[in-house]
Amino acid sequence: MKLKTEKTIAFFFAGALLIVGIVCYAAFPQRSPDMPVRIMFKSLAGNVLFSHTEHVSEDYYGYECTDCHHYYDEEDPGSISCSECHMTESDEDEDIPKRSDAMHSQCIDCHKESGGGPDECSECHVQ
Amino acid sequence: MADRKLFVASHAPFWHNGSGVSSRSFNMILAAMPAVIMGIMQFGASALGVVALSVSSAMLWELLMNRLMKRPVSIGDGNAAVIGLIFGMLLPSVMPWWAILTGTFIAIVVGKQIFGGIGCNPLNPSLVAVAILTLSWNSLLDFDEALLNFDPGFYMVYPLGALKHFGVSAISNYNIQDLIMGRQSGGIGSTFGLGLIIGGVYLIARGHIRWEISVSFLAGIFLTSWIFNIADPSKYTGPVFHVFTGYTLIGAFFLATEDSSSPVNFIPMLLYGFIGGIITILIRNIGAFADGTVFAILMMNIANPLLDRIKPRAMGKGIEYA
Repeated sequence: MKLKTEKTIAFFFAGALLIVGIVCYAAFPQRSPDMPVRIMFKSLAGNVLFSHTEHVSEDYYGYECTDCHHYYDEEDPGSISCSECHMTESDEDEDIPKRSDAMHSQCIDCHKESGGGPDECSECHVQ
Repeated sequence: MADRKLFVASHAPFWHNGSGVSSRSFNMILAAMPAVIMGIMQFGASALGVVALSVSSAMLWELLMNRLMKRPVSIGDGNAAVIGLIFGMLLPSVMPWWAILTGTFIAIVVGKQIFGGIGCNPLNPSLVAVAILTLSWNSLLDFDEALLNFDPGFYMVYPLGALKHFGVSAISNYNIQDLIMGRQSGGIGSTFGLGLIIGGVYLIARGHIRWEISVSFLAGIFLTSWIFNIADPSKYTGPVFHVFTGYTLIGAFFLATEDSSSPVNFIPMLLYGFIGGIITILIRNIGAFADGTVFAILMMNIANPLLDRIKPRAMGKGIEYA
């Protein structure tokens, strides 16, 4: 293939793929779904990857929203996020448990009730 | 002295077989297609966007550098497109556009052009970009974090992350068929093991990559992970899991075999691949990163000139001080 032809083809593909890339980014922006699939809880002790889908799916645990989200507002699902009320240590409200305490109590107590542990921090936290 | 005969050699009329850099690039892209197409099918339009932007921006950075350095336009040889494609294959399907532009800038400008362009780069340009992005914005290349909202219908925890952080018991959720067929979390073009093997075998058969590097890299991975597994099966998993997860297969066929950053002699090629495989498993099993392929191959790239000193003695060369 002649150099000029190769160059022309390369220019065409560079332009075409640039357009495809821009269109994909513009037309399919990353949006969080109404119901999270997985949640990464950031923590100094190591992040925790929580599968929300497994906890609500009938094939797995099959929990209702109110089993975990004690202030549940059907009209405004966004308000039921844990971090709406349970703050990190620095923004802690005395009347409301801080986020790490709330999470530990929620996760560990529930799992222990069903006899599943965890026994070590490293069973949930990425360390 | 009168008996001394002069050996006369003439320049052969070499016959060019018609292949060139562009033909090699075309075949590399073709070989990568099964894995890329499967990745786009698994992860959707966002994966297509990442790959398209990666290839096009790599070509545009190359064009810009050609202009700035007053060199002939070289995007026609397809090398920049290959670098962009391989870089895109290593990324998760969710990647901010600016990170892709930064990555391809690093790959083309820092990884290739400042060393003099094609054939002069001491390190694999795509890996230089991935390594710098990993060290600069680790969360962007953390597959568990990047792919939080993907639910493609299979277990979406990054296999090597699960192994690294939660041990052998955590990998019971994976089966080998899923891993081979790309039903796992990972880079867009690095999860479909079967596609990567088909592409790699095609490139070996066409003579575009050297089997010595690919086979010895996989042998290094296999043997080292097997030894770890024998030493402590409760802590270290077996070799099959390591071969079909992370960047192992794309590393063996598309990354370690990059022309100018890999050796050309037989023994050095075997050592380069084998030691690369060993370092990969050492990083995975006792190092800080879940997958060690990127840094292992970069380390072997650095060792490449030293390894290539192991070469056959030239025939007929006299020994001066014998």
